[in-house]
Amino acid sequence: MSDYFVSLLIRIGIEAFVALSAYLLLLMGRMSFGQQGFFVIGAYAAGLATALYGMPLLPGVALGALVAALGGALFAGPMAAPRGLAFAAGSLAFGELVRVALLDLYFQGQVGPDLIGPAGPDGFRGIRALFTSGVSVTTYAVGIWLALGVTLLATAFFLRSRWGEALRMIGEDEEAAATVGLPVRRVKVSALAGAGGLAGLGGGLFAHYATYVEPGHADVMLGVHSLAYAFIGGLGTPLGPIIGVALDIGFLESFRFLAGYRMIIFGGLVMGLLIVRPRGLLDEVAVHRLSRFLMRGRR
Amino acid sequence: MVDFLQALVDGVMLGATYSLLGLGFTLIFGVLRRLNLAFGPTILVGIYAGSHLSLAWPGALVPVVAVTVAGALLAGVYVERFSFRALARQAPVVSMISTFAVWMQLQELVSLLSPSRTMPYPSPVWLPAVAVGPILLRSDGLLMWSGATLIMLALFALLYRTRFGTTIRAVADSSEAATLMGVNVAMVGAAAFLVASAVGGLAGVLIAQSHQQVTPYFGLWATVKGMTAMLLGGAGSLPGAVVGGLALGVVETQTLWHFGGQWRDLVSYALLFLVVALSPRTRWGSGL
Repeated sequence: MSDYFVSLLIRIGIEAFVALSAYLLLLMGRMSFGQQGFFVIGAYAAGLATALYGMPLLPGVALGALVAALGGALFAGPMAAPRGLAFAAGSLAFGELVRVALLDLYFQGQVGPDLIGPAGPDGFRGIRALFTSGVSVTTYAVGIWLALGVTLLATAFFLRSRWGEALRMIGEDEEAAATVGLPVRRVKVSALAGAGGLAGLGGGLFAHYATYVEPGHADVMLGVHSLAYAFIGGLGTPLGPIIGVALDIGFLESFRFLAGYRMIIFGGLVMGLLIVRPRGLLDEVAVHRLSRFLMRGRR
Repeated sequence: MVDFLQALVDGVMLGATYSLLGLGFTLIFGVLRRLNLAFGPTILVGIYAGSHLSLAWPGALVPVVAVTVAGALLAGVYVERFSFRALARQAPVVSMISTFAVWMQLQELVSLLSPSRTMPYPSPVWLPAVAVGPILLRSDGLLMWSGATLIMLALFALLYRTRFGTTIRAVADSSEAATLMGVNVAMVGAAAFLVASAVGGLAGVLIAQSHQQVTPYFGLWATVKGMTAMLLGGAGSLPGAVVGGLALGVVETQTLWHFGGQWRDLVSYALLFLVVALSPRTRWGSGL
């Protein structure tokens, strides 16, 4: 595999985690403009764990995801109740708050000859655990996609379980869900924590691949993109957001010769797609037909 | 005390333009119950058009203003046609995602058609600053405030004193009831969209003459400021949007003055977060 192709796979894999986290909240009827906040929280936490405190790569990334999940649970304190536009606004404010706060975060320590750690607007450089541990970039890409595959399977399983049903029911009608005795608040807090953890996992993986992370990575565009991915790929399956990411990055990369016109064409394609298929390529109907087709003859 | 007053005055002058952006957002959201993320980028198109004209024809102020508003209107028509009218029967969130796609397009379009990322915008710099006692009123600020006030007065007269305004408010109140009364809801929605785009274009003129330049990031900036002003005012209330914009402006200049530039955005976002957290049960429409 060429280096270029591997880097593409890594980028798609990393963004897929953020897109999945936005998708999970969409199912619960919440559109979040703030998942980029959890992405950088995970990135900074994982970076601190490995670069400053010398943790190995895997536990470091896992810790980053855990910290972001914890952030999601805390975020759920004030944000479990609001829905609709209020939730969208609150999450936007949260994402921007994280970005602006990181501009003022200085927390550096001496590691060998270098000062390592977040340095305000200059960001957090020197997160080298991936390269000092001797893991090749290709292995890393395979690892990311394995993790993504496991996450996908777990998500699909989760969505078919009672918890997944509860999640969708809250998305449809919160009062009705409470009336039939669902633990509405517990489901919402868990979903927000889980979504935070997924985005944070993407962040930790990104920080170690790029070897640095800066407040600019919490750009609101990342959050809005990850929302849009679900609507491109389809809301009917957790594969949808990943297809959205792959289409976006794949399209951008394969049409480099179009230079400046890319976003105009891609934007136009998305706009047209939403008119023809408002719930994305793989919407619920398509997924149902597809699964019936695949199951044909087994019954 | 003088510092506080000076920052307060600066904040009101700045906030008046936020109020205009908030009013544009509220008009669209109130009538169509949909969020237009591309509102800032439509204004961006107008400002770039005005900037191009001012480069080709220096000193032409009125035509620049006219072209800026016309550009915003044209982009607004595009957004209305493809992200709202074509998706009228879909869930509101689909429109929102579509406006995001349009945003990408508009931002790329202006970057593509411009020789540099930062484009100049004419400003009536010959206007003198006015000193009231120890308070200094800068000319660009005065222009922002007086222009915004005039536009708001005209807009409120249109919405509260004409038959057309009544139908707009009727649809915003309940589109079902308005339909039963024989109002053509789709037409009113499109008209409200155009009014909002024109208000946005005028707000763009006032803001750009104060900044004296524009970059493609203006679209994001204007969308965030307008949305914040609308939400601070309770989302859906026109007077609320005015108050929300002024509050945002004052909070920004006060923090800037007393704590420094890096706190300015932090405090305004914290304010928005607090408003959402403390009043989760406001009558904000369910966006999904």
